[in-house]
This record gives sequence, structure tokens and C-alpha cells, in this order.
Amino acid sequence: MATSSSAGRVLTLCKQFQNVFRISSAINSQQCYSVLTKYQPRLYRETSPLAALSWYRPSSYVGQCRALHTTVSRRGLDEFFDLPENWGQTEVKSGAPWTAKQLRTKSNEDLHKLWYVLLKEKNLLVTLEQEAKRQRVQMPSPERIRKIARSMIRLETVVNERETALRLLQTGQEKGRPGAWRRNKFGHVYWYRFKEYAIPWYMNRKYKRKSFFTPKFVQPHIRLRIEKHLRGKARKASLERSTQAKLKEKFPQLKVPAS
Amino acid sequence: MRLTALLMMAARVVVPKDYRFGTNRPWTAAAKRLNPAGKKRRKVFVEPLAAEDWSVLRGDMVQILTGKDAGKTGKVIQVFRHRNWVMLEGLNTHHRYIGRTRDYRGTYIASEAPILLRDVALIDPSDRKPTDVQWKFTEEGDRVRVSLRTGRIIPKPVVERRDGIVAQQWKDGPKDTSPDDTLEKTYVPSLKTLEEEVMEKMGIQENRRNKRSYWY
Repeated sequence: MATSSSAGRVLTLCKQFQNVFRISSAINSQQCYSVLTKYQPRLYRETSPLAALSWYRPSSYVGQCRALHTTVSRRGLDEFFDLPENWGQTEVKSGAPWTAKQLRTKSNEDLHKLWYVLLKEKNLLVTLEQEAKRQRVQMPSPERIRKIARSMIRLETVVNERETALRLLQTGQEKGRPGAWRRNKFGHVYWYRFKEYAIPWYMNRKYKRKSFFTPKFVQPHIRLRIEKHLRGKARKASLERSTQAKLKEKFPQLKVPAS
Repeated sequence: MRLTALLMMAARVVVPKDYRFGTNRPWTAAAKRLNPAGKKRRKVFVEPLAAEDWSVLRGDMVQILTGKDAGKTGKVIQVFRHRNWVMLEGLNTHHRYIGRTRDYRGTYIASEAPILLRDVALIDPSDRKPTDVQWKFTEEGDRVRVSLRTGRIIPKPVVERRDGIVAQQWKDGPKDTSPDDTLEKTYVPSLKTLEEEVMEKMGIQENRRNKRSYWY
């Protein structure tokens, strides 16, 4: 889809549109206005002519004046509902979700704001979904919820990446939560993740009852388990060999078929 | 956050390794009827083809080489990589009744059968004849399909988006971010975590210290 030429890339990127509000970090006071007019929020099914309702113009949903850090559009419970023009529609257009590549170019502050914008939009859509179920009507464009969920997952991934990089630099540890490789009673070695306690381990009766070692009588069972594992491995290898032989027989090719 | 990932995982269909792929998608009722869970079907041997060597894309014009409709050209509707199948529009059809009820015998429609990749060849747009195709790199670095007979590049077919959006005719809605705002780079790398940066920007001062805790 995207050509590797720069013009093609820019064009392709410009064609991508996001289902999120504008995050402009520099908003002058002129934009910090709000056309907040009261209107009765109608239930989803009761579509009445919207001529009586005032027009809400969202300029910047989470716009904010630098000094104050207040949300411009504080419509209270109305934020759980969509724009009035979308009420009763069977289809609402929405753009593409945010990609991880785009999110990586944004500052931490922008990501922080974007998270809450996405969260509020998700609450809106989920309310709509529930109301549609109640009215036994199909929800308009349910793919919006999936787009938002994907954007949020990608945002979290980007934030985790940055955190891991910083942690590796400062401490050399890759994982944020401490843990250790421990052996359980059955002879399995696993990554035991530490928990946070208020008292040290020698005062914790429940923790002292745990045993992170394998008793001697378990050794024969471990041996049998190893034998079973080896037999399974041998079976898998022989199956692989027989499938390769059959493939070669059915499709006589010059080069070796990729496994 | 883990809950969302869990829910998305639950929504996705997990298919066993020796699943026999058919023309139906695995989550449909028809596929579940043909491949019931727990039942092992006879194994089909598919000619191994590397993913990067796949040259027929959806929307391409191809010609059938063997079979009932040999010599006819058609557009590719669907591609099944698991079975090396290609579905062409209106070609290689058989007729069947659909939507049958007790009294009504159903509509008689022509339904396409999938064709193996071997029996199909891409059409060179310059001379409209079937050719063998290879993936090569151009001067700019793009990976393109080149026909071995004429040497002409076969362009990739334009695929319509599933939601019907045409990029050139798209108009931003009130909740969409403009392309300029999206591409604007605001990230300045620093040795601060997200929490520290946001606290600084918002003027939150946390002077409390955590009580001593033990991790084990």
C-alpha cells in the first residue's frame, strides 16, 4: 500500500485520519471559548427534529489554556452522548485509529491527554452500545469501539517502551517488577514474581509455609516427565520428516520445500 | 488494560494447527459444521510457497490455464494462502440452490469454486497474455512484480477499504485529528518518566515518601 518513496509516504500518511480530537498544545485564548447551550439530551430511539436544538460546535474537545489546565467543553453528563446530529443515524463515519508509529512522535504530555480523550470517547460509545441493546436496535458503526481499543493498546505499548528504555539506562533491569527463577514442588522452574508486603519474609507466616524446592521422592516422576517430553519430541521430528517426504513425493520440485 | 487485551483475544478465533481451511471463514456456522471441534480431518498437502513469493493479489486480472474455464480471464476476489487457492469472479462456477426451506426449493445461483495457484497466471497489461512473474526491486527501492517474458512491471491492484472510505474524498469529522496535527512531532526525549513529566507540567508536587515495603 505505501510506496517507499517519500512523496508517496507523505501522501499515504496524510490520508490517514484519526478518530480522536485535536491535540493542539498551543491554543490561544480566542479558541478557549465554548458555545455551551443547554439542550435536552434525548434517548437514542426518540429522534425528534433537531431544529429546536442548538448547535454545539466542538472546536477543540480537550483544548486547554496553558495556565489553567481546565477542559473547555465541560458539558457534564452530555459528554456521555454523541453529537446531536448523529442521534438516530445508522452509520457514523470515523477515521482510522492511531498507529504506534504516530504515537511515538508525541510527547508524554500529549499521550497523557490523548489517553483521557480516548477513554471518554470509549465511555460514550459503550453507553451507546448499552442503550442500543436496551432499545433492541443495532448500534451505529460498532467498529469505532475496536478502533479506540486498538489505539489505547498501542498508546500503552509506546509508554511501556519508553519506560523500559529509561529503566534499562538507569538500572540495567528490563522488568519493572522484581522476581526470581524458583523451583516448585513438582520440579518445574518458573519465574516467580515478587509481591509487595508490609512485613519482612521471616515474619510472614503464610509465606514461610511455601516451599520453593523439590523433595527427593519427586525425582522418579521428573525422570518420567523428561522421558515423555523426549518421546514427544521424537514423534514431532519423525512427523516432520514424513510430511517433508510426502510433500517431495507430491510436488517434485527442484529446490527443497521450505519447512 | 489487561482486560481489554483478554477480551480481544477471546473475540479472535483460535484455530488448531492441523485445521483444514475451506472457503468459509473459521468463525462461521458452515465452517464449524465442516470442521467440528475435536474432530481430525484428513490432512491436505499444500505446496509450500514462501510468503514473500506470493505474486497474485486481490483485484488482479489473471487467466486460468487448466480446467473447465481454461483460457478465460477474471478478477481475483479472494485469496486463500493456507490452501494456495484463488477465487475468481464468476469463473469456475457450479450451480446450487441457496436459502432452501421446507416448501421452497431455493434460489438457483452460480457459486465459484476455488482454483489452485498453479493453474492460474497473471496477465501482463501491455499485451494481455499470461506470464510468469518475479519479485524484483526498482531503482527507487520499491518491490514490484516483473513479468519474465516482457520485463514490464505489473502494478499492484487498487484495493478498496472495507469501510468504503476513499482517501482522496475523505473529509475530517469533528472528532478527527487533522493530518498536520497527527504528523506534528512533539516528543523531546528526556530522562523523565511520563508520570514525572506530567506532574511537572501540571505543577503537582509530591513530597510524601513511600513507607518501607518488602518485595519477596
